[in-house]
Parts: sequence; C-alpha cells; structure tokens
Amino acid sequence: MRKHFHLLLALAVVLVMPLVMHSGSLASEVLIFGLAAMGCNLLLGYTGLLSFGQGIFFGLGSYTIALTLTRWPLPMPLALAAAVAMGALGAAAVGWIAIRQRGTYFVMLTLAFAQMFYFMAYSFPRLTGGDNGLLDIPRPSIAVAGHTLWPLVSPWQYYGFVAAVFLVTFWFLQKASNSIFGRTLLAVRDNEERAGAIGYNLKLLKLQAFVISGAVTGLAGALHAMMTGIAPLSSAEYHTSEMILVMTVIGGTGNLLASLLGSAFYVLLGDWLSTLWPRWLLLLGVVLMVVSLGMQRGLWGLGETLWHLVRRKDRAAAAPAALGDKA
Amino acid sequence: MSTPILLEAVGVEKRYDKFAALAGVDLRVRANTVHSVIGPNGAGKTTLFHMLTGTKTVSGGRIVFDGHDVTHEPDHRRVQRGMARSFQVTSLFLTLPVRENLRLAAQGTAPSHALNCWHAPVGARANADAVASVLARLGLERHADTPVGNLSHGQQRRLEVGMALAARPKAIFLDEPTSGMGIDDLDEMKRLIQGLKVEHTVVLIEHNMNIVMDISDTVTVMQLGRVLAEGLPHEIRSDDRVRSAYLGNMITGGKA
Repeated sequence: MRKHFHLLLALAVVLVMPLVMHSGSLASEVLIFGLAAMGCNLLLGYTGLLSFGQGIFFGLGSYTIALTLTRWPLPMPLALAAAVAMGALGAAAVGWIAIRQRGTYFVMLTLAFAQMFYFMAYSFPRLTGGDNGLLDIPRPSIAVAGHTLWPLVSPWQYYGFVAAVFLVTFWFLQKASNSIFGRTLLAVRDNEERAGAIGYNLKLLKLQAFVISGAVTGLAGALHAMMTGIAPLSSAEYHTSEMILVMTVIGGTGNLLASLLGSAFYVLLGDWLSTLWPRWLLLLGVVLMVVSLGMQRGLWGLGETLWHLVRRKDRAAAAPAALGDKA
Repeated sequence: MSTPILLEAVGVEKRYDKFAALAGVDLRVRANTVHSVIGPNGAGKTTLFHMLTGTKTVSGGRIVFDGHDVTHEPDHRRVQRGMARSFQVTSLFLTLPVRENLRLAAQGTAPSHALNCWHAPVGARANADAVASVLARLGLERHADTPVGNLSHGQQRRLEVGMALAARPKAIFLDEPTSGMGIDDLDEMKRLIQGLKVEHTVVLIEHNMNIVMDISDTVTVMQLGRVLAEGLPHEIRSDDRVRSAYLGNMITGGKA
C-alpha cells in the first residue's frame, strides 16, 4: 500500500508543478534531476555505495542522444533507448572495476573515472564537440507514420513528456526497490560481511545496482540535452557528479521520493537565489553542512519528524477533549 | 557409531607475512556430530573457521566438503554446498527486523533469485516455512518484527545461530555462540546447539567447558596454530598434555 502512496505523491507533484510554476523548463529540470538523484540514491541509500561517477552516465546519456538525433537520425524513442543503454553500459564498466574495492578506495576509483571521462570527452572533439559540446539537438515530436501525436515544441509540452517518462521510471524503481533485489541491497548496505557469509555474491548485486543506476542517469542526461538543445562539456564534468550527489544527500537517502525533493530544492533554490546573488552556492554549502551534521535523513527525514510532531500534538489535543466529553 | 566424514581439512595453513596463524592443521568432521575446537586465545581457532567457511583464503592445504574440493571457493559459493556460519562478534543486519534477517539468510541458498528486481519477496518467494521454523526454534516469535538492533545481547546471540540455521545447511560452524552471554541464557543456547546435530553437523568453537564437555562428540585442542590433541570429551579432560600445556583445571569445568 505504501508504494502506491508514494507513486500517488509523485503523481501529485507532477500535476501540481504546472499550476504553481511559471517556467516549463524549470519544472522539467526538477524532474530530470530527480531521476538522476534517484539513480544515485539506489547506490548510496540502498547499497551504501558513494559514487562520484554519476556525471559520467549523465554525460553519456547527453552525448548519445545528441549523436543519435543529429548524425544518425534515429526516431526519438529509439534514441532515448540508446542513451539509456549507453548509461547502463558505462555504469557496468565503471562498476565492474570500482566494486573491487570498498570504502575510500571505491570512492577514489569512481572519482578517477569521472576525471578520465571528462578529459576523454575533451580529447575527442570530433565525437563530443570538445569545449563547445554538441549543439542544435532537435526535439522531435512523437509521431506515428507522419501523424504528430504529441508535439514537444513548447516547454510545457516537453514537460508533459518528461513527466510521463519520470512517472514510468519512478514506478519501475519503486518496484525494484521493493523487490527481492532491492531488499537484498539493504542487507548489503547494512552488513557486507554477513551478506557474503549467507551466500550472496556481493559483486554481482552491486554491479546490477550500478547498471540500473547508470541507465536511469543516462536517461536523465538525454532528457536534459533535449530540453536545452545542447550536450555541453560541462555535463561530463565532475561538477555534475557532485551536484547529483548533493541533491541526493540533501533530499535524504533510502527513499526514492526524497530524491525528487532534493532535486526540487536544489533546482528551485538555485534558480531563485542565482538572480539575487551569483555566489549562491556558498549558501548551499551551509545547507549541506546542516544536513551532514544534524539532519542525516535529509529534508525528507525533517518532513517526517515534523509530521510526527504535529500528529502527536493533535492526539494530545484530542485526548483531554475526550475526557471532557465523559465528564 | 561412526557416521561418514563430511568435512576434511588437510594441512591447512594461513600465514600473515612471516607469522603463521595456522601451521598445517588436519581436521576430520563426521556427519551429524558436534565437533568442538578449543584452545587458548590466539591458538588459531577463528582463523581455522575463516579457512573452513571461506571467509578468508588459505595459504596452503586442502579442504574437502561433502565430496567437493572447496579450498579455493569463496564463502558465498560454499553456502551453496551446504555450509553456514555464525560469528564470534555478532554480525547481523541491525536496521532490519528479525524476520527479514532470517528471510535473507534462507534466501541465500538461491542467491540468483536476489537479482530479481521485479517481484517482491512475498508468497512462495518469502521462504516463510524456513523462517517460521527457525523463529520457533530460537523462541523469537514475539520479536519477529523488531529491528535486530533493538534486541538484547542474548537474543542477538541466538539470532546469530539462527542465521546459520535458516539456510538449512549440512554443516553449521558456530564461533563462540555463548560469548558475552549471561548465565540465564547459557542453558538455552546449550539446548539449542545440542538439538542441531539431529539434522546438521556442528563445528563449534567454545570457551565454556561445561558446554563443550557435555555436548561434544569429538574435541580438538589447538595451540599455536597446530592441533595439540583430539579425542572424546573424557579423553581430552584426562589428557596430560592438554592439562599441562595450558588448560589446568579449567578443562574439568569445575566437575573434576
């Protein structure tokens, strides 16, 4: 029942954003980075893996959709699938090597991959556009046999498409996190030694978590590239990994919806503050400190705590009233 | 009565640089017996366990389990062969409920199922029978939905044994199951272990000599990474080498 509740909450967020926000692009960005943060959450919150390599998969998704839509014009859904596949493939490669180590060395390996990917993207300008990135990525409407079914021209039309993709992905990730696989990941997160001792192949489990995470992050990268029309070098940069990670931690780990909250917080706060003060990232640092020091369940955890407080007050208020009735 | 040999270790060694934690240990464990390994701290008992169950790799020697050479198989492979272990220092999934801990342990014998990211572990996939029978055996039914981190130490130690049981293994390796337990819990643990050999083979590391002498079929005494003596409990109790080596009157467990 709980999983349906979360799916309904996600649906509510998707439906409410157009009512309260002015910019369709900004709303799309919330959902897109929400996807990326959920991919990161699967590794960090469910498996206990702190990956600095998420930017690689995001960048791979961006470049793949740019290339498939401009140079070898594929139908858009196929191009999107290719971006997902590339994200998964990249994650399989990074994961295959990185999970040979644990703790600090695992983190260092993902960091090394992120740096390598950036310089590779920089060094092959014929494929990636180098410093300029890939430009003029089209946003073809969804059409069958020449009939346009779903035009993606305006930002809000595109938002509708992103929202549909987001909800389907959210539903799948929710299902995966409640599956036998997801529940076993929680065991790996809790105690790797015991998980191995009761028969689980830790490497295989972690690798599959990586592949799913990479696929979702690649999807996010592709959607982002179609939204902005460019696949910039900056999307392959280490900063993208960091941003995804920060959103995940601020939202709260171990709960997929929390990642959407983290993304919304980061994107919307950034949009608002950057008009007031260009150095707004300094404030984000403070928020991150607060979360790390005293609020490790993130904004979601804070929300839960407040909810319980309110309910307890309600109950406390209701109890004397009931007594009064008897008297 | 002599049952077939389930586990045979020949010349098992473990070296850390120049230090030999195990300097060639031979061990034969017969099926459906309780085989205890005793010895002072640092004798290499836990290291031997790590070798037998695959938690760590051997530096030399051979281990045959149930007709298969498992010397170079990792721990998770040996679980599929029918081995299960408990840990000297409690090692559980502390944020997960008791029932979930046992379900995970039961499911560990079919680890490929763990890659199923579509179906939830409900219905036929819940291993409900195995979990229920272990819960009953441990007497933890009332705490089935309690996060393991909230259990008392004695309950956690029992669950530690239960984690090994849930996989329905051929051989159970128990590493000091009574460590840190209060007197009240000891008898319960003793009964639990004694009952295991009907269906399983038990290899036991234990410091409590009352328990060792009462429930063991065979006792192996280790010292400085080697086997010092092996025999029936009463033979070990009266073995002069064992007495003079280090155990003194501790071996009699106060029963003399």
